[in-house]
Amino acid sequence: MLKARGERGCCDRCAGGTGTAGAARIARRRLLKDAVFRPPAALTPEPSDWFAPPADIRAGVAAGVGRGGETAQETAPLPRAVTGTVLDVSPQVLIIGDPGGRPGSEQRFALTSDATAWRGAQLEATELHEGDRAVVRLHPTRRGVADRIWANIGRVTGTIIEHTSEFMVVDEGVTRPRQIVVIPPRAAGRIQVRFPTLQPGYLIDIIGLRGPAALEGLIPATSQPAYPAGRLPEAPLVSGHVPDAISGSATWHEPAGEPPGVLGVAYPALDPATGCVEDTARGHCRGYARMPYLAVGSVLLVRNDCNGASCALPVTGCAAVARLFNDRCVTCGTSPRGRVADLTEASFVALGGELDRGCFNATITIGR
Amino acid sequence: MLVMLREVQIPLLSAMLLGGCATKLARVIRVGSVDAGLGPTALFPMRLRRPVAMAMCALECGLGLGLIATAGQIGRGAPAFSVRLGAGLLFLVATSALIELRASRPDIGCGCFGDFSQAPVGWRTLSRSALLALAALSTLGLAPLQPPHSKAAAALLLGVLAAELAVVAGLSPELGEALVKLGYSEPCELRVVPSERSVTALRRSKQWRRHAGLLTADVPVDMWRELCWRYLVFPGQYGDRETGEREAEVVFAVFLRLRRPLIHAALVDAATGNPVQWPAAPKRAHFLSRVFRSFRLIRLIRAALLQERVRPPGQLPAEPDEPAPETGAQRSAAFY
Repeated sequence: MLKARGERGCCDRCAGGTGTAGAARIARRRLLKDAVFRPPAALTPEPSDWFAPPADIRAGVAAGVGRGGETAQETAPLPRAVTGTVLDVSPQVLIIGDPGGRPGSEQRFALTSDATAWRGAQLEATELHEGDRAVVRLHPTRRGVADRIWANIGRVTGTIIEHTSEFMVVDEGVTRPRQIVVIPPRAAGRIQVRFPTLQPGYLIDIIGLRGPAALEGLIPATSQPAYPAGRLPEAPLVSGHVPDAISGSATWHEPAGEPPGVLGVAYPALDPATGCVEDTARGHCRGYARMPYLAVGSVLLVRNDCNGASCALPVTGCAAVARLFNDRCVTCGTSPRGRVADLTEASFVALGGELDRGCFNATITIGR
Repeated sequence: MLVMLREVQIPLLSAMLLGGCATKLARVIRVGSVDAGLGPTALFPMRLRRPVAMAMCALECGLGLGLIATAGQIGRGAPAFSVRLGAGLLFLVATSALIELRASRPDIGCGCFGDFSQAPVGWRTLSRSALLALAALSTLGLAPLQPPHSKAAAALLLGVLAAELAVVAGLSPELGEALVKLGYSEPCELRVVPSERSVTALRRSKQWRRHAGLLTADVPVDMWRELCWRYLVFPGQYGDRETGEREAEVVFAVFLRLRRPLIHAALVDAATGNPVQWPAAPKRAHFLSRVFRSFRLIRLIRAALLQERVRPPGQLPAEPDEPAPETGAQRSAAFY
């Protein structure tokens, strides 16, 4: 494989490439591409706005969507997503911040009677605990009002490596540590209905409560594919040009190695010449969906078909595991097979997705 | 006529069985596992799928060969009857299994012909299986096959075979899939083109020759792909002594086609990222002037060759410190 100067041979990016250096490089690529083709600015947001978190939000407290103005945002104002640690909660106010952060860095959000929360099950917002890691979706029209809160939510999507009577070890790709999933007896039946083959080599996708050492699996995020991870069925052939808009399922992943609150999307078909550094241990090269090859930095317009919200997001990685699924999302109607986007938590929430549902029906349009 | 119709079934059934076995084996070889099979094996528990798939493939191969072996005088009687009954039962069981598969797993293909049978089980697949079961059972008690006695009989036999093949093809969704695969050309967005190929194509291109003088390194500092284009960025310099030389980046966009790809280029200021004008190329001489110079060059080469011929063997050309008197031809050579 030909290497660009000073590059790692395996890939054109490294884990954590969504940080400052990665964002700069992505912005640079947009500039260089524009210099060659000078495309209309319809789908190209201002490069500085792709990753730019609001100035008042620091590391640990996350970014919003749509600050790029009209170019970065195709529709009405999107609800903002904020992640952080619950510092205090009262019937009226939720305080989110970083426990080690400097004084004054925390954010306060009003709690209304409509605000709902999730921590393994639906609960009142006042039942949240200090120290919970929370993802907050703000009210779409009233900034400063919390609309929905997910506490300690986690997700494990990958290939089962080991399964004992007490826990499962799951491979999520080489850039992420092996995940341990514990399924409590109260959720075992529900999970086994959707995941009948809990054997090594098969895929699993479970949402639950994130603990310090393991994920307590509570909700099956999809139905298990009938094939082992290494035996993907072939997708239907595509003739002629690939359509501009591709529909499928959009999922989310936990921000391991990514800056908190980063807006972006892991795309299932990165150029094979650059490889996929996040690949699973077994290194499955091709995903299920036949999608056009892109690179880190390409811009996708992701649309939530369930509520019509859409946003231009940069590709920040390869969806090493998501591309192995040929499932459908049934959040609103039945989507075509295959996962077309694996969003970061903040992007998923900002587009109106419910984290505990696992997916929404999506249509992506590639910025040409 | 009826006997002829029954006789045609033997080679047809044999071909179907051996074809099914071969395509299943091809899939196993491609995927690298027996339990990756499609079709009714999905109805079995996980631990039984592999043995069932293997047994199915072996049975098809054995019956296909058996039908051929017992078609003539060699296996007449009980062996031929057993093989044909076995084939009939196999297709009957397959029809039942496909009905069950269609009800319980409507998204799965029948797997009858390996990778070609990925379409969900439909009425065509079911009809074909039932037709083949009927065909196999119709051969029970058939006398050993004989070569046709006349040309007319042979032609009729071929006609019946062709007609039945057409019916089976019409009932096979695999045929359409096979034709699509044969004539398939991948869109450029999905085509896998190694980066080395793009670099090689770029270095052979006119764009590269035109702009190579601006580059300060011949290894790209960045390279990525988007849809049908691969972008390569090289470091460079632009400007002159008067305006001052500035760092630049030359961006090439190479279309992902295997032969003679289209290439675009742009010059970008390295500091600002803004595109800048290409430096003016040296003015090219007029066409007639170039032709005239070409003639002079040919005359010069001829003169040089003649001098080489006149020089005696072993005599060295004049030393550099003893310059020969400059001729008009040499002045032209220096010019060129």
